[in-house]
Amino acid sequence: MYADTREVALIDCDVHNSWTSADVLLPYLPPAFREYVERGELPGGRGSFPAAHRPWLHPEDFFRTDATPPGGGPAGSDLGFMREQLLDRYAIDHAILNGEEAIEVSTLANPHYAQALARAYNDWVREEWLLHDERLLASLVVAPQDPAGAAAEIRRLGGEPRFAQVLVSSGAQRPYGDPFYHPIWDACAEVGLPFAVHLGGNAGVNAPPTGCGPPTFFWEAHALLCETGMGHVASTIAHGVFERWPGARLVLIECGIAWLPPILWRLDEDYRALRKETPWLRRLPSEYAHDHVRLTTQPLEQPHDAAALWPALADVGARDMLMFASDYPHWDFDDPVFVRLPPDWRQPVLDANARSLYGLPARAAVGTRG
Amino acid sequence: MGCRRARRWGRVADHVVCTASDIAPGERRIVDVAGRSIGVFNVGGRFYALHNGCPHKGGALCAGRVTGTVLPTTERTFAYGRVGEILRCSRHGWEFEITTGRALADARVRARTYPVSVEAGQVVVTV
Repeated sequence: MYADTREVALIDCDVHNSWTSADVLLPYLPPAFREYVERGELPGGRGSFPAAHRPWLHPEDFFRTDATPPGGGPAGSDLGFMREQLLDRYAIDHAILNGEEAIEVSTLANPHYAQALARAYNDWVREEWLLHDERLLASLVVAPQDPAGAAAEIRRLGGEPRFAQVLVSSGAQRPYGDPFYHPIWDACAEVGLPFAVHLGGNAGVNAPPTGCGPPTFFWEAHALLCETGMGHVASTIAHGVFERWPGARLVLIECGIAWLPPILWRLDEDYRALRKETPWLRRLPSEYAHDHVRLTTQPLEQPHDAAALWPALADVGARDMLMFASDYPHWDFDDPVFVRLPPDWRQPVLDANARSLYGLPARAAVGTRG
Repeated sequence: MGCRRARRWGRVADHVVCTASDIAPGERRIVDVAGRSIGVFNVGGRFYALHNGCPHKGGALCAGRVTGTVLPTTERTFAYGRVGEILRCSRHGWEFEITTGRALADARVRARTYPVSVEAGQVVVTV
């Protein structure tokens, strides 16, 4: 309904496709692990996904209540309704599917089971989603607690053009620049995919998401989970990921953006004094971040004065780093029509930065599509 | 639905949207009136009308759940009340008083309300 009024193309970098039951993965699991789902213990009964759940339970459930498909099933499980409510409604050129629970494989102690589930999800999303709408791209989910297995999965499917990036949860056993994860970065470089980190995985074997102990309430925790994003940015820069793999890109999804400038300022200042700890670096942390780190906008922070958000972000060059995301169909969805960006940030943030990162062809002529 | 007075630009007019018995207590009906989507609610036998666009970010406010809420307190108690008086936006879940349009968490935010009356068994919304 907004298709004719928008002045720029639109790429949505965070859309959650769900299922009616995790049993949809059974045909894609090898026999050894199919048994685990068929006969083994599940966290929420038949049809629930084998993963540890975060300790903050959303008291109103996690979804827009208007996103429940008319034909039934969970929000995000019906491609037809997703087309109507998101893809067609906003004339979205490309939407990146990040799954609903798949990244939660990172919470499982058993890395082999976790990787098998990730592989099954990737095959499922390829067959059941990507084949049915050419606007859809998918993230390739891996279990980061198994770096060798993750690298193998990246090499198995990462060359397929409809997989836009490798995806893990922001909840992790250690920050993602750690050499423990370098086999994953190596595989990403080999197939030429960004490494994306989506908010989640704050349970199970993963480290606590905030440094001073667990928050108590859902909204309190949700606002603070961005802390994991800060840790991953600092770690990947400090460990020299972007020196060792010059084409490497770190994408932070749903980890917030307003914290970026002060964290980069602090990293720059401390690095200047203590460069000797990381002699493999050749540039300031903020310079690596500008060239190698991308962040999705949702949930866009809402200052009292909407204009207050942008001057600090401009200082670190964030106009080149931000990519729009809606987070459909979750409870904190950002509507592309209501997202308030400075006029000269709209084209890069809504379209060009993602188009460049994911190597998507330029839209032929804006506003001419049906 | 019909206009009882000729609508002139910039003037309000009364619109019959349904009969009172169409909306039972606790129920709502979303109607189009003068080009606007409006939710008409029956709360305990009285009728209220809210604009079906959330003041937060434009979501379909009136399609949300009608609930009660946890009452304000200075203690660590969780008294539940006001059942049927609270509308929770279908988009982001913000809570609004159906009777006033006021957002519970931020009194500066109000959903637009419209006057409603019942005349000869007909629900009339003034838009």
